[in-house]
This record gives sequence, structure tokens and C-alpha cells, in this order.
Amino acid sequence: MRQAVRNLPPPVAGEGRGGGVGSLAQVPGRVRLRSRRLTGFGLALPALIFVFAFMVYPVVSLVVLSFQEYAPLRSTATTFAGLANYVWLAGSDLVHQSIWVTVVFTAASVAVEMAIGLAIAVLLAKLVVQLRSQPGRLLTRLLGGVFILPFATPAIAGAIAWKTLLNPQFGPVDAIFHTDIAWFAQFPLASVIVADAWKMMPFVLFLMFAAILSIEPEQYEAARLDGANGWQEFRYLTFPLILPVVAVTAAFRAVDAFTKIFDTVFVTTGGGPATDTQVFPLLIWRTTFDYLNFGHASALAVVAIIVSALLGASLLAIRRASST
Amino acid sequence: MSVLIRRRPVTVSRVVVVAVLIGAAVATIAPFFWLAVSSLKTEADIFASPLALLKAPTLANYASLFKQFHFAIATLNSIAISLGVVVISVGLGGLAAYGFSRYPFTGSRVLLSGLLITRMVTPAALVVPLYLIMNALGLLNTLISIILGIAVLNLPFVIWVLRPFFDALPREIEEAGLVDGLSPFGVFLRIAVRLAAPGLVTVALLSFIAGWTDLLFPMSFATTPEATPLTSGLLQMQTGYKIYWGSLMAGGVYLTLPTLILSFALQKYLIRGLRLGY
Repeated sequence: MRQAVRNLPPPVAGEGRGGGVGSLAQVPGRVRLRSRRLTGFGLALPALIFVFAFMVYPVVSLVVLSFQEYAPLRSTATTFAGLANYVWLAGSDLVHQSIWVTVVFTAASVAVEMAIGLAIAVLLAKLVVQLRSQPGRLLTRLLGGVFILPFATPAIAGAIAWKTLLNPQFGPVDAIFHTDIAWFAQFPLASVIVADAWKMMPFVLFLMFAAILSIEPEQYEAARLDGANGWQEFRYLTFPLILPVVAVTAAFRAVDAFTKIFDTVFVTTGGGPATDTQVFPLLIWRTTFDYLNFGHASALAVVAIIVSALLGASLLAIRRASST
Repeated sequence: MSVLIRRRPVTVSRVVVVAVLIGAAVATIAPFFWLAVSSLKTEADIFASPLALLKAPTLANYASLFKQFHFAIATLNSIAISLGVVVISVGLGGLAAYGFSRYPFTGSRVLLSGLLITRMVTPAALVVPLYLIMNALGLLNTLISIILGIAVLNLPFVIWVLRPFFDALPREIEEAGLVDGLSPFGVFLRIAVRLAAPGLVTVALLSFIAGWTDLLFPMSFATTPEATPLTSGLLQMQTGYKIYWGSLMAGGVYLTLPTLILSFALQKYLIRGLRLGY
């Protein structure tokens, strides 16, 4: 559908009087066609310049820097270092550990979010369809407002909340279970995953919710007449129908979690204890601002950008595949 | 079909559904609720008994934000950063999305795909070269450097969300504008912007939140109180020696309240943006 809209020929200046839009674009004047294209380019130009100046140029300079040695703590000079930064990166246990931690974090966090988000979305959709009364609608609206809350909470504030909840001295979680566990020290990765899953669950929930509501009601009627129970209805009707949306959402969340996890970890564990939760973005940041080793940091950043570009490109491919 | 459903009796399953949903809702708000309640306790009460109810609520922690932690100027900085991000992202992004939608040019599809990929760039990776560039331009410790960093990561997202909005608008009105002698830019400004207002509100809201909540760029580019917004201001409360728990909790709530109010007031737009943004 979106494809079809995109392929519609654009309007042509000054030719709107005659027939439909289609007939105009079939015989466009050469000059008009050119000026039309220039118009599009002109409208996009300010944004393109901005992105080139503060994204493309920095990334190019980053690649250059990754082949140099620049560590202001040791020397202010920038010297050519060949592949030294990449050799360091390939052999560093710190880097290997960081990549592993990030992969585990991403997989677990996305799995938890998807499971909880999907479950709540299914139940919420059931409620919306069943309760058509005024108080029923109010209830679903209220629940919607509640479930969006973590998404509206800044990551740093969410992290502070979880740090409070899981504090061994005065946190309610330990008090309720009569335990004495310093969650962020003893189970750091699991705690960070819980905090992140809480924050991002609404994203999954609302995408799933919209997908479920777009299923034709008649299909559920048919299932019911066949005597399907709630689980069978989900397993054989709802889930297969929303599977494309589930796949895209999970892929999108995975890319996002892998490339952007920073605030939550920085505020709760700071990457620790030791380097147990030092996710990749945090490793880049520490190498830059704590160790002031811009050569090493650039090599890490280049790897991160290559990985994110590959992930982004595959996401684009998944998106295309699932929409056709 | 609603007749069919209404005829079904109120079953146990429906009660279970409602109960589970309410349980999930309580679990969802619990962390923030706890933070908000604790922020109203004195630091002694916070440590005294975790499950004790709020006895004598106090705003002392909130007062400390302004007395000790420069929150007055940090609030102004946060507002300035958020507005700066909105102006750049919606201004440049709106124009570009309209261009991509209405006047596709050679290579525009490749550029759009490229823009989706730039959305995936690890912010922490971009901070490394941007820091050196801002340093060379003498822009460290200014709000401008923070705004530029957040905006450049936000802009591709805005274009991506807005383009389908313009795609969905009826072309006839814009064509009439062209016939009446408006330039394409005039049509954009006088017609398309108004028709696409819901989309623009959505991206403005999301851009504002992006600016308001960003921690990475302020903590990387600014060390002086004059250029520190609320997010990185919160970091001063947890030093290696001491965590100012009361202030930290109050600060977290203070930072969250504006985004909460905005999200509830504009919930429709937020959910739409969330759905279009992926």
C-alpha cells in the first residue's frame, strides 16, 4: 500500500487544470521535470547539509583517527599508527567481554520485553473488544495511560527508580522478600535487564496492540464457532497474523538495545562491578573520556558504526520483506 | 458482531483478564510511584524503614535541588536544549520529508535508506569525533554543541516519521495552491504544514522529549553548571564518596514530571509516533 502511494507521480506546477494527476506526469516537459527534481533536492538540502556536517564528516574523521595514535594523557601529538588500534581491539579481553555482555543484554532484554509486551497487548485487546460500555472504555484508556508511563520516563530517572527499589539498605524489594541482596552488585546484568525491559516494554505493547486490533473481527467469530479456546485462538489465529509485526518489532528493539544502551547502565552499575556490565557504548565512552585514548576509542567506535550500519541495513531488508 | 459478543455471559475468564491487567498496571507504575513517595521523605526516614508509609511529607529534597545543585539554571538549560532540538529537527526535517514525499529526485530513495541507517548509529560512537570537532570550534561547554549533537541523531527519525504523513495528504489542495501561483515552498508553508499538523505535533513532542531526556551529549560536552541541563545535573548527586539519595530521588521525579504531563496530554500523538517510528 505504502509502495503504491510512493509511486504516484508527483504534482507538476501549473498543470493542475487538465485531467488527473496521472495524465500530467505522462508527458512532463523536460524543463519542468528538472525543476521539479531540483525543488525536491532544494527542500531536502538544509537537512542533508546538516547531516553531512555533523554526522557524515565526523564519521569520516573518526575513521581517519582510528588509524592514528592520539592519547592526550601521554602526548598531545597525533601520530600515524597503522592498524595498531585495531590490533589492540582484536586482542583485548576487555573488548571481547564488552561485546559478549552487550549481546547477552540485548537478547535477554528483547526476549523479556517481547514476552511481557505481547501478553499484555493480547489481554488489553481482549478487554477492548469485550467491554464496549462507557466504564469499560474508561478502564482501557486508563490502563493505556498507565502502560505508557515507563516509556515517558527519562531513562536516567527510570534508572534512579530501580536503583532505589533494589537498594539493599532501604529498597522495598529486599524488605518484602526479607532478603539482603545488593541486586546491582550481585546480579548486575539481570538487574540492568529488568530495568531496561521495564522502560521499553510499552513500545512493544503498543505496536502489538495496534497489530492485534487490526485483525478482522470476523476471523475470531469463525474461530469461536469452531470451538477454539483462548489459547488456541492466540496460537493459531492471532499469533500467525501478527508474526510479521512481531518480527520487525523484535528486530528493531534488538538493534536499538544493542546500539543505544547507555543511560541505564551508566547510572545503575556504571559498567561494574569491575567491568561485568560494561556494554559496548559504555566501553567507547570510558575509553574516550576516562582513559582519554582517542585512537583506541575511534577504532571501537568504527566497529560500532559498522555493526550498526549492517544491523540497520538488515532491518530495512526485514521491513521490506514483511510489508510485501 | 458486537451482538454476538455481548450475548456471551460475563465469564470467569474476563475477570481473570481484568485482574491480570490491573496487576500488570500496578507493577508498571510501582517503580515511579515508589520514587515519588520516597522523594517526599527526609533522608533519615528513607533509611529508617523501607516499607514505612509516608508520615510527614516534606519538600526539603526538592528545595535542595535548587540550593545545592543549580537546578534553576539546569531547568532553563533543559528547556533551551529541548526547544533547540525541536526547531532544528522539525524545521529541517519537515522541509526534507516534504521534499522526499512530493518531489522525489534522482537518488532520493537511496538517501532515505541511508537516513534509516544513520538512525542506527551508536550515539556513543558519534560522540568521539563530535567532541573533537566541538573542541576545535570552541563550542564545548555551550548549549549549542549539545543541541547539535542531539538534533543530528534525531533528524533522520523525524524525516522517517513525517514522510508517510505527507504521502497520505490529498494532493488536490496543494495543486490548487500551485495553480494559484504559490511557490512549492509557499505551498509547504501555507498548506502542507497545516494539513500535516498532527504529524508535526507528534514529531515536535518526540523531539522535545529527546532533548529533555538526553544524558550522553550533556555529560560529554559540558562540565560547567552554566551549560549543564537537568539530566547530567543529576549525576552530581552520586559521587564516588556519597550518594545524596533524597536529592537524587527528587531530581528524578522533577525531571520526569514534564515528560509525563506532556505524554498524558498528548498520548494520542505519542502512541502514533511510537507506531510510525519503527
